Amino acid sequence: GLKTLHLGSCVITTNLQGIRSGFSEIRDSVQAKDEIIDIRILRKTQFLQGTKPADQCCLLHHILRLYLDRVFKNYQPPDHHIFRKVSRLANSLLTIKKDLRLCHAHMSCPCGEEAKEKYSQILSHFEELPPQAAAVKALGELDILLRWMEEV
Amino acid sequence: DGVAVLPAPQNLSMQSTNMKHVLTWSPVIVPEEIIRYSVEYQGEYESLYTSHIWIPSSWCSPTQRPECDITEDITATVSYSLRVRATLGSLTSAWSTLKHRFNQNSTILTPPGMEITMDGFHLLIKLEDLGPHFEFFVFYWRREPGAKEHVKVVRPGVLPVYLETVEPGAAYCVKARTFVKAIGRHSAFSRTECVKVQGEALPL
Repeated sequence: GLKTLHLGSCVITTNLQGIRSGFSEIRDSVQAKDEIIDIRILRKTQFLQGTKPADQCCLLHHILRLYLDRVFKNYQPPDHHIFRKVSRLANSLLTIKKDLRLCHAHMSCPCGEEAKEKYSQILSHFEELPPQAAAVKALGELDILLRWMEEV
Repeated sequence: DGVAVLPAPQNLSMQSTNMKHVLTWSPVIVPEEIIRYSVEYQGEYESLYTSHIWIPSSWCSPTQRPECDITEDITATVSYSLRVRATLGSLTSAWSTLKHRFNQNSTILTPPGMEITMDGFHLLIKLEDLGPHFEFFVFYWRREPGAKEHVKVVRPGVLPVYLETVEPGAAYCVKARTFVKAIGRHSAFSRTECVKVQGEALPL
Protein backbone atom coordinates (compact mmCIF):
# COMPACT_ATOMS: atom_id res chain seq x y z
CA GLY A 1 0.00 0.00 0.00
CA LEU A 2 1.04 3.56 0.59
CA LYS A 3 4.43 4.10 2.21
CA THR A 4 5.18 7.20 4.27
CA LEU A 5 8.73 8.49 3.73
CA HIS A 6 10.16 10.49 6.63
CA LEU A 7 13.00 12.46 5.03
CA GLY A 8 14.06 14.70 7.85
CA SER A 9 11.27 17.21 8.28
CA CYS A 10 9.85 16.36 4.86
CA VAL A 11 7.17 13.70 5.06
CA ILE A 12 5.54 12.32 1.92
CA THR A 13 3.43 9.28 1.09
CA THR A 14 3.88 7.28 -2.05
CA ASN A 15 2.72 4.04 -3.62
CA LEU A 16 6.14 2.34 -3.51
CA GLN A 17 4.51 -1.07 -3.82
CA GLY A 18 2.90 -0.06 -7.13
CA ILE A 19 6.18 1.37 -8.42
CA ARG A 20 8.08 -1.74 -7.40
CA SER A 21 5.56 -4.03 -9.11
CA GLY A 22 5.78 -1.88 -12.24
CA PHE A 23 9.59 -2.10 -12.18
CA SER A 24 9.66 -5.84 -11.55
CA GLU A 25 7.83 -6.35 -14.85
CA ILE A 26 10.74 -4.89 -16.83
CA ARG A 27 13.75 -5.41 -14.54
CA ASP A 28 15.09 -8.55 -16.20
CA SER A 29 14.67 -7.13 -19.68
CA VAL A 30 16.39 -3.86 -18.76
CA GLN A 31 19.21 -5.41 -16.73
CA ALA A 32 19.91 -7.89 -19.52
CA LYS A 33 20.87 -4.97 -21.77
CA ASP A 34 23.40 -3.61 -19.23
CA GLU A 35 26.72 -4.91 -20.56
CA ILE A 36 28.99 -2.86 -18.28
CA ILE A 37 29.40 -4.96 -15.17
CA ASP A 38 32.33 -3.32 -13.44
CA ILE A 39 30.63 -0.01 -12.75
CA ARG A 40 27.79 0.71 -10.39
CA ILE A 41 26.02 4.09 -10.19
CA LEU A 42 24.08 3.76 -6.93
CA ARG A 43 26.46 2.42 -4.31
CA LYS A 44 25.83 1.33 -0.78
CA THR A 45 27.95 4.16 0.57
CA GLN A 46 25.55 6.74 -0.76
CA PHE A 47 22.38 5.09 0.33
CA LEU A 48 19.68 7.28 1.81
CA GLN A 49 19.38 5.54 5.11
CA GLY A 50 23.01 6.23 5.96
CA THR A 51 22.51 9.91 5.19
CA LYS A 52 21.67 12.20 8.01
CA PRO A 53 17.91 12.84 8.03
CA ALA A 54 18.15 16.53 7.30
CA ASP A 55 19.94 15.79 4.00
CA GLN A 56 17.84 12.82 2.85
CA CYS A 57 15.18 14.88 1.10
CA CYS A 58 17.71 16.86 -0.92
CA LEU A 59 19.66 13.75 -1.92
CA LEU A 60 16.53 11.94 -3.06
CA HIS A 61 15.29 15.06 -4.86
CA HIS A 62 18.52 15.31 -6.84
CA ILE A 63 18.58 11.59 -7.64
CA LEU A 64 14.99 11.70 -8.91
CA ARG A 65 15.84 14.72 -11.04
CA LEU A 66 18.73 12.75 -12.53
CA TYR A 67 16.37 9.89 -13.37
CA LEU A 68 13.74 12.18 -14.88
CA ASP A 69 16.16 14.42 -16.79
CA ARG A 70 18.71 11.92 -18.02
CA VAL A 71 17.68 8.33 -17.46
CA PHE A 72 14.12 8.04 -18.73
CA LYS A 73 14.86 10.61 -21.42
CA ASN A 74 17.81 8.68 -22.83
CA TYR A 75 16.41 5.21 -22.42
CA GLN A 76 15.30 3.63 -25.71
CA PRO A 77 12.57 1.06 -24.93
CA PRO A 78 12.75 -2.00 -27.21
CA ASP A 79 8.95 -2.25 -27.62
CA HIS A 80 5.65 -0.61 -26.75
CA HIS A 81 5.09 -2.89 -23.76
CA ILE A 82 8.33 -1.79 -22.09
CA PHE A 83 7.64 1.76 -23.23
CA ARG A 84 4.35 1.83 -21.28
CA LYS A 85 5.94 0.32 -18.19
CA VAL A 86 8.78 2.85 -18.28
CA SER A 87 6.23 5.64 -18.70
CA ARG A 88 4.44 4.39 -15.60
CA LEU A 89 7.71 4.49 -13.64
CA ALA A 90 8.64 7.93 -14.92
CA ASN A 91 5.25 9.41 -14.07
CA SER A 92 5.23 7.75 -10.64
CA LEU A 93 8.68 9.11 -9.80
CA LEU A 94 7.56 12.49 -11.11
CA THR A 95 4.77 12.41 -8.54
CA ILE A 96 7.32 11.84 -5.77
CA LYS A 97 9.56 14.59 -7.10
CA LYS A 98 6.62 17.01 -7.11
CA ASP A 99 5.97 16.18 -3.45
CA LEU A 100 9.65 16.79 -2.65
CA ARG A 101 9.49 20.09 -4.48
CA LEU A 102 6.65 21.08 -2.14
CA CYS A 103 8.91 20.30 0.81
CA HIS A 104 11.60 22.41 -0.85
CA ALA A 105 9.13 25.26 -1.20
CA HIS A 106 8.34 24.94 2.52
CA MET A 107 12.00 25.00 3.47
CA SER A 108 11.95 21.41 4.67
CA CYS A 109 14.34 20.03 2.08
CA PRO A 110 17.71 21.67 2.83
CA CYS A 111 20.85 20.67 0.93
CA GLY A 112 23.73 20.09 3.29
CA GLU A 113 27.27 19.10 2.45
CA GLU A 114 26.59 15.41 2.88
CA ALA A 115 23.78 15.42 0.32
CA LYS A 116 25.88 17.43 -2.15
CA GLU A 117 28.89 15.16 -1.68
CA LYS A 118 26.92 11.95 -2.09
CA TYR A 119 25.04 13.23 -5.11
CA SER A 120 28.21 14.39 -6.82
CA GLN A 121 29.66 10.90 -6.33
CA ILE A 122 26.56 9.38 -7.92
CA LEU A 123 26.75 11.86 -10.78
CA SER A 124 30.41 11.11 -11.40
CA HIS A 125 29.69 7.36 -11.60
CA PHE A 126 26.81 8.15 -13.96
CA GLU A 127 28.95 10.35 -16.18
CA GLU A 128 31.69 7.73 -16.51
CA LEU A 129 29.40 6.05 -19.01
CA PRO A 130 28.03 7.14 -22.38
CA PRO A 131 24.47 8.55 -22.01
CA GLN A 132 22.66 5.51 -23.40
CA ALA A 133 24.67 3.01 -21.37
CA ALA A 134 24.28 5.15 -18.26
CA ALA A 135 20.52 5.28 -18.79
CA VAL A 136 20.28 1.50 -19.13
CA LYS A 137 22.43 0.90 -16.04
CA ALA A 138 20.63 3.47 -13.91
CA LEU A 139 17.22 2.13 -14.92
CA GLY A 140 18.39 -1.36 -14.03
CA GLU A 141 19.51 -0.03 -10.64
CA LEU A 142 16.09 1.46 -9.90
CA ASP A 143 15.43 -1.38 -7.46
CA ILE A 144 18.37 -0.11 -5.39
CA LEU A 145 16.75 3.32 -5.26
CA LEU A 146 13.39 1.76 -4.38
CA ARG A 147 15.04 -0.25 -1.62
CA TRP A 148 16.62 2.95 -0.28
CA MET A 149 13.20 4.54 -0.16
CA GLU A 150 11.66 1.47 1.47
CA GLU A 151 14.35 1.52 4.15
CA VAL A 152 13.84 5.16 5.05
CA ASP B 1 -11.66 5.68 -52.11
CA GLY B 2 -13.10 9.01 -53.17
CA VAL B 3 -12.05 10.48 -49.83
CA ALA B 4 -9.41 13.16 -50.28
CA VAL B 5 -9.07 14.06 -46.63
CA LEU B 6 -10.25 11.98 -43.70
CA PRO B 7 -11.94 14.10 -41.03
CA ALA B 8 -10.51 13.90 -37.54
CA PRO B 9 -12.64 12.31 -34.79
CA GLN B 10 -14.73 14.85 -32.88
CA ASN B 11 -16.35 15.17 -29.45
CA LEU B 12 -13.66 13.36 -27.51
CA SER B 13 -14.85 12.68 -23.99
CA MET B 14 -13.61 10.79 -20.96
CA GLN B 15 -15.85 8.65 -18.76
CA SER B 16 -14.20 7.42 -15.56
CA THR B 17 -16.04 5.50 -12.89
CA ASN B 18 -14.50 3.39 -10.14
CA MET B 19 -11.04 3.66 -11.67
CA LYS B 20 -12.19 2.38 -15.07
CA HIS B 21 -11.36 4.99 -17.67
CA VAL B 22 -12.99 4.99 -21.13
CA LEU B 23 -12.29 7.52 -23.87
CA THR B 24 -15.12 8.01 -26.39
CA TRP B 25 -15.54 10.06 -29.57
CA SER B 26 -17.97 10.55 -32.42
CA PRO B 27 -17.38 8.00 -35.19
CA VAL B 28 -15.99 9.16 -38.51
CA ILE B 29 -18.42 8.06 -41.19
CA VAL B 30 -17.37 7.14 -44.73
CA PRO B 31 -20.13 5.16 -46.46
CA GLU B 32 -19.31 1.48 -47.00
CA GLU B 33 -15.85 1.86 -45.51
CA ILE B 34 -14.34 0.56 -42.30
CA ILE B 35 -12.65 3.30 -40.31
CA ARG B 36 -10.00 2.41 -37.76
CA TYR B 37 -8.83 4.58 -34.93
CA SER B 38 -5.56 4.89 -33.08
CA VAL B 39 -5.32 6.23 -29.55
CA GLU B 40 -2.16 7.59 -27.97
CA TYR B 41 -1.39 9.10 -24.58
CA GLN B 42 1.17 11.22 -22.79
CA GLY B 43 1.68 11.32 -19.06
CA GLU B 44 2.80 14.45 -17.30
CA TYR B 45 6.38 13.15 -17.52
CA GLU B 46 6.23 12.90 -21.31
CA SER B 47 4.58 16.31 -21.59
CA LEU B 48 7.28 17.93 -19.50
CA TYR B 49 10.41 16.04 -20.56
CA THR B 50 9.78 14.43 -23.95
CA SER B 51 6.84 16.34 -25.40
CA HIS B 52 7.33 14.96 -28.91
CA ILE B 53 6.75 11.43 -27.64
CA TRP B 54 3.29 9.87 -27.53
CA ILE B 55 2.64 6.30 -26.42
CA PRO B 56 0.23 4.01 -28.31
CA SER B 57 -2.56 2.82 -26.00
CA SER B 58 -2.52 -0.83 -24.97
CA TRP B 59 -5.81 -1.85 -26.59
CA CYS B 60 -6.72 0.70 -29.23
CA SER B 61 -3.92 1.06 -31.70
CA PRO B 62 -5.82 0.32 -33.81
CA THR B 63 -9.50 -0.25 -33.04
CA GLN B 64 -12.73 -0.07 -35.06
CA ARG B 65 -14.92 1.11 -32.20
CA PRO B 66 -15.30 4.81 -31.33
CA GLU B 67 -14.18 4.20 -27.77
CA CYS B 68 -11.11 3.00 -25.90
CA ASP B 69 -10.61 1.53 -22.43
CA ILE B 70 -7.42 3.20 -21.31
CA THR B 71 -7.53 1.95 -17.73
CA GLU B 72 -4.28 -0.01 -18.12
CA ASP B 73 -2.51 2.96 -19.62
CA ILE B 74 -3.36 5.40 -16.82
CA THR B 75 -0.99 3.99 -14.22
CA ALA B 76 0.12 7.01 -12.18
CA THR B 77 -1.76 9.78 -10.40
CA VAL B 78 -0.61 12.49 -12.78
CA SER B 79 -2.45 14.27 -15.58
CA TYR B 80 -2.56 12.60 -18.99
CA SER B 81 -3.11 13.95 -22.49
CA LEU B 82 -4.97 11.73 -24.94
CA ARG B 83 -5.40 11.91 -28.70
CA VAL B 84 -7.17 9.94 -31.43
CA ARG B 85 -6.95 9.83 -35.19
CA ALA B 86 -8.86 7.94 -37.88
CA THR B 87 -7.38 5.74 -40.56
CA LEU B 88 -8.84 4.44 -43.84
CA GLY B 89 -6.34 2.46 -45.83
CA SER B 90 -3.41 4.78 -46.40
CA LEU B 91 -5.43 7.83 -45.44
CA THR B 92 -5.03 9.16 -41.91
CA SER B 93 -6.83 12.05 -40.31
CA ALA B 94 -5.31 14.75 -38.17
CA TRP B 95 -5.03 14.01 -34.47
CA SER B 96 -7.82 15.14 -32.16
CA THR B 97 -6.66 15.78 -28.61
CA LEU B 98 -8.86 15.56 -25.51
CA LYS B 99 -9.57 19.14 -24.50
CA HIS B 100 -8.78 18.72 -20.79
CA ARG B 101 -6.02 16.54 -19.44
CA PHE B 102 -7.26 13.60 -17.42
CA ASN B 103 -6.14 12.56 -13.92
CA GLN B 104 -7.37 9.36 -12.34
CA ASN B 105 -8.02 11.21 -9.09
CA SER B 106 -11.14 12.64 -10.77
CA THR B 107 -12.75 9.24 -11.22
CA ILE B 108 -16.34 8.91 -9.94
CA LEU B 109 -16.51 6.57 -6.96
CA THR B 110 -19.90 4.93 -6.45
CA PRO B 111 -21.13 3.41 -3.19
CA PRO B 112 -20.36 -0.32 -3.25
CA GLY B 113 -22.99 -2.93 -3.92
CA MET B 114 -23.31 -5.28 -0.95
CA GLU B 115 -25.31 -8.31 0.19
CA ILE B 116 -25.86 -9.16 3.86
CA THR B 117 -26.34 -12.85 4.62
CA MET B 118 -26.54 -15.05 7.71
CA ASP B 119 -24.73 -18.33 8.11
CA GLY B 120 -26.26 -19.72 11.26
CA PHE B 121 -25.52 -17.00 13.81
CA HIS B 122 -22.73 -15.49 11.69
CA LEU B 123 -23.37 -12.15 10.03
CA LEU B 124 -21.64 -12.07 6.66
CA ILE B 125 -21.24 -9.46 3.93
CA LYS B 126 -20.55 -9.95 0.25
CA LEU B 127 -19.15 -6.88 -1.54
CA GLU B 128 -19.05 -5.88 -5.20
CA ASP B 129 -15.73 -6.75 -6.83
CA LEU B 130 -14.40 -3.44 -8.12
CA GLY B 131 -10.85 -4.49 -8.84
CA PRO B 132 -7.42 -4.29 -7.20
CA HIS B 133 -7.49 -0.58 -6.42
CA PHE B 134 -10.38 -0.85 -3.97
CA GLU B 135 -10.58 -1.40 -0.24
CA PHE B 136 -13.90 -1.44 1.60
CA PHE B 137 -14.71 0.11 4.96
CA VAL B 138 -17.63 -1.82 6.45
CA PHE B 139 -19.49 -0.25 9.39
CA TYR B 140 -21.84 -2.46 11.39
CA TRP B 141 -23.75 -2.18 14.64
CA ARG B 142 -26.50 -3.78 16.66
CA ARG B 143 -29.72 -1.82 16.27
CA GLU B 144 -30.40 -0.72 19.82
CA PRO B 145 -29.97 2.53 21.71
CA GLY B 146 -26.34 3.40 22.43
CA ALA B 147 -25.00 0.55 20.33
CA LYS B 148 -21.31 0.76 19.41
CA GLU B 149 -20.41 1.05 15.71
CA HIS B 150 -17.72 -1.37 14.53
CA VAL B 151 -15.51 -0.93 11.47
CA LYS B 152 -13.84 -3.61 9.37
CA VAL B 153 -11.43 -2.92 6.47
CA VAL B 154 -11.86 -5.42 3.67
CA ARG B 155 -9.09 -5.87 1.08
CA PRO B 156 -9.91 -6.57 -2.56
CA GLY B 157 -10.90 -10.12 -3.45
CA VAL B 158 -11.91 -11.30 0.04
CA LEU B 159 -15.48 -12.62 -0.21
CA PRO B 160 -17.74 -13.09 1.75
CA VAL B 161 -16.55 -11.45 4.97
CA TYR B 162 -17.50 -12.51 8.47
CA LEU B 163 -18.62 -9.53 10.51
CA GLU B 164 -19.99 -10.75 13.80
CA THR B 165 -21.67 -13.55 15.74
CA VAL B 166 -25.22 -12.37 16.34
CA GLU B 167 -27.83 -13.06 19.02
CA PRO B 168 -31.32 -14.44 18.39
CA GLY B 169 -34.06 -11.80 18.25
CA ALA B 170 -31.61 -8.91 17.77
CA ALA B 171 -31.33 -6.69 14.68
CA TYR B 172 -28.08 -5.65 13.05
CA CYS B 173 -27.31 -2.93 10.50
CA VAL B 174 -24.50 -2.58 8.00
CA LYS B 175 -23.24 0.10 5.59
CA ALA B 176 -20.06 0.30 3.52
CA ARG B 177 -17.97 2.60 1.39
CA THR B 178 -14.94 2.12 -0.83
CA PHE B 179 -11.45 3.61 -0.50
CA VAL B 180 -8.86 3.96 -3.26
CA LYS B 181 -5.33 4.40 -1.90
CA ALA B 182 -3.81 5.43 -5.21
CA ILE B 183 -5.88 8.61 -5.21
CA GLY B 184 -6.60 8.90 -1.47
CA ARG B 185 -10.35 9.16 -1.91
CA HIS B 186 -13.39 7.21 -0.70
CA SER B 187 -16.91 6.83 -2.08
CA ALA B 188 -20.17 7.83 -0.45
CA PHE B 189 -21.75 5.28 1.87
CA SER B 190 -23.97 2.57 0.55
CA ARG B 191 -27.55 2.39 1.81
CA THR B 192 -27.75 0.99 5.34
CA GLU B 193 -29.09 -2.57 5.35
CA CYS B 194 -30.52 -4.21 8.49
CA VAL B 195 -31.33 -7.83 9.27
CA LYS B 196 -33.41 -9.30 12.10
CA VAL B 197 -32.10 -12.53 13.61
CA GLN B 198 -34.63 -15.35 13.98
CA GLY B 199 -35.50 -16.78 17.39
CA GLU B 200 -36.31 -15.49 20.85
CA ALA B 201 -34.18 -12.80 22.43
CA LEU B 202 -32.00 -14.31 25.19
CA PRO B 203 -33.17 -13.53 28.79
CA LEU B 204 -31.09 -10.80 30.48
